[in-house]
Amino acid sequence: MGSVTFNHVYKYYKGEPEPSVNDFHLEVADGEFLVMVGPSGCGKSTTLRMLAGLEEVSQGDIYIDDKYMNYVSPKNRDIAMVFQNYALYPNLSVYENMALGLQLHKVAKSDIDLRVNRAAKMLEISHFLTKKPSQLSGGQKQRVALGRALVREPQVFLMDEPLSNLDAKLRTQTRMEISKLHNQLKTTMVYVTHDQTEAMTMGTRIVVMKDGKIQQVAAPQTLYDYPNNLFVAGFIGTPQMNFMNGSIVSIDDEYYFDSKRVRLKIPPFYYPHIRSAKANLRQIVMGIRPEYILCEDWALESYSDWKVSAVVDMREPMGSNTFLYTSFGKDTLIVRTEAHTAVQAGDAITIVLRMDKAHFFDQESGVSLTAKGEYA
Amino acid sequence: MLNAVRKLRKQISFPRIVLIVFLTAVGVFMLIPIIFLFNHAFKPLNELFAYPPTILVKQPTWRNFEQLLLSSTAGLVPFTRYLFNSAVISAIATGAVILVSTMAGYVLSKHRFHFKTMIMGLILISLMFAPETVAIPRYLVISGLGLKDTYFAHILPFLASPLAVFLMRQFIDQIPASLTEAAKLDGASDMYIFTKIIIPLTAPAVATVSIITFQAVYLDVETSTFFMTKETMKTLAYYATALVVNVPGVAATSLAAAIGLIMFLPNLIMFLLFQRKMIQTMLHSGVK
Repeated sequence: MGSVTFNHVYKYYKGEPEPSVNDFHLEVADGEFLVMVGPSGCGKSTTLRMLAGLEEVSQGDIYIDDKYMNYVSPKNRDIAMVFQNYALYPNLSVYENMALGLQLHKVAKSDIDLRVNRAAKMLEISHFLTKKPSQLSGGQKQRVALGRALVREPQVFLMDEPLSNLDAKLRTQTRMEISKLHNQLKTTMVYVTHDQTEAMTMGTRIVVMKDGKIQQVAAPQTLYDYPNNLFVAGFIGTPQMNFMNGSIVSIDDEYYFDSKRVRLKIPPFYYPHIRSAKANLRQIVMGIRPEYILCEDWALESYSDWKVSAVVDMREPMGSNTFLYTSFGKDTLIVRTEAHTAVQAGDAITIVLRMDKAHFFDQESGVSLTAKGEYA
Repeated sequence: MLNAVRKLRKQISFPRIVLIVFLTAVGVFMLIPIIFLFNHAFKPLNELFAYPPTILVKQPTWRNFEQLLLSSTAGLVPFTRYLFNSAVISAIATGAVILVSTMAGYVLSKHRFHFKTMIMGLILISLMFAPETVAIPRYLVISGLGLKDTYFAHILPFLASPLAVFLMRQFIDQIPASLTEAAKLDGASDMYIFTKIIIPLTAPAVATVSIITFQAVYLDVETSTFFMTKETMKTLAYYATALVVNVPGVAATSLAAAIGLIMFLPNLIMFLLFQRKMIQTMLHSGVK
């Protein structure tokens, strides 16, 4: 059914030396919810637009349902797209907006009526089918735009940052609705966003892009736990992963992470990775997520090997958690701790860096020494 | 009660009163010619020549219009022929300009093709030429094509209206590209997108272009002067300017009074119909 294949796809724009999309090679299985995420200008929207047929493919092939699509016009690709700014026809009513695509595809009138009403019911927009888009709120408009895509019953849904124009509360709500829809319909969805929360919560698989290149493709949790490189590690997760420059040194058959201020023992299960890595061990970036830097008493006892001392610069209560911004030499380490912690700004505290959850990256290339999802 | 008084007081501040009085005065001052025009057309002969002249008419009469309707050039070409010419030419030219400029504007705004920037540049450059500077080449083109003494000579030069194309393109630029893209994905053809989505959304710009074009064509004298040797092909605007020269004596004044109003009325009607939309376009396009 709705599988999508990108075969080494490139997009060059005139006057730009670097391709906007650089060797995009990926297979999307039928029924998958694929999210493309990345900073603005990373080529994710261009990729989606090439899939939609709104941009030409400079090089490479695109297949939908194993059919070659490069030169097929958008209307014949059996896709439906939802745009960031809704793109509802302002002069048509909600019903007409949803029905237009079907009318143009010569669907029988009774069938159109059936499909529109069914979609409207699903999205709870039945009561304003006669209204004009200008009479609707942003959230309602986006639901209509979703409805317009739904009634088409396409093989693939394409969504280009559909939630970016909604306010925070509505965004969360609509996010859930789209996820629910996907669960019901089981149709392939390709979803573009710059918001990592959307990517993490909605996608069955996430593509992280930067400068036109795929950085990593993985399921949300894998992406979070085993980032392939420095960019993915920094991009996914709020607050950001903590990074420290240093080197890996070997003493008496044991490996240590060594920065100018501390030397921390690396757990043995990393050793095979470190030995086989083609990286310069003298220039390493260590990354640890805020939840794996601990300052509670129990942690200080159980992980006594990995204790360091730091000074709290700032305390950021989030309600459910408190983030401590501590300075450790030149580096700032963010510690995620319990909400009611007694630690105040200015305190000197002892923290534990859980080396068993640390990531090591080559400083030069940014590639992870330890990823590939193999370690504990 | 007390609240109402307070509210009123807030609204009637001194600077506000000054402003309203001043603007009213300016408005009345600007209205005077129009009031004069309306009254003048209905004045009997003695009032037309009264000294000092009055603005308001005392004994209104249709006599001026009767005379105008019955008037003719050299007893051969009647007034109604000029009126007919003007009506036909203005209607066709306005319609044609709207068609051409909306289509060109749509393509220039929403399509990608080679040399697009260059074409738009050429259109903008042609905006800069005053009509007088191109009068001679235009004459050569029109006579070379054998269009003299035809309606084509009246209409074709107006058809290539860079201002209309520019206004349309600016206005269509405001319509988000995703709208046409959504329509394309829905399966709409270019013609469908143009007629069902672009045109309904550009109504204000169409109104503006109608006013501009209608005025230009309706008030144009030069075409009749330069390209029309046959009297039967000339327009009302030409007749109006020629009237005072060609018609001897007192009659001319009475005819001029009536034709003045006739020349003005269609413009006024067009403006009243479209003014709100026109202001909208000017705001959108950043052209004032």
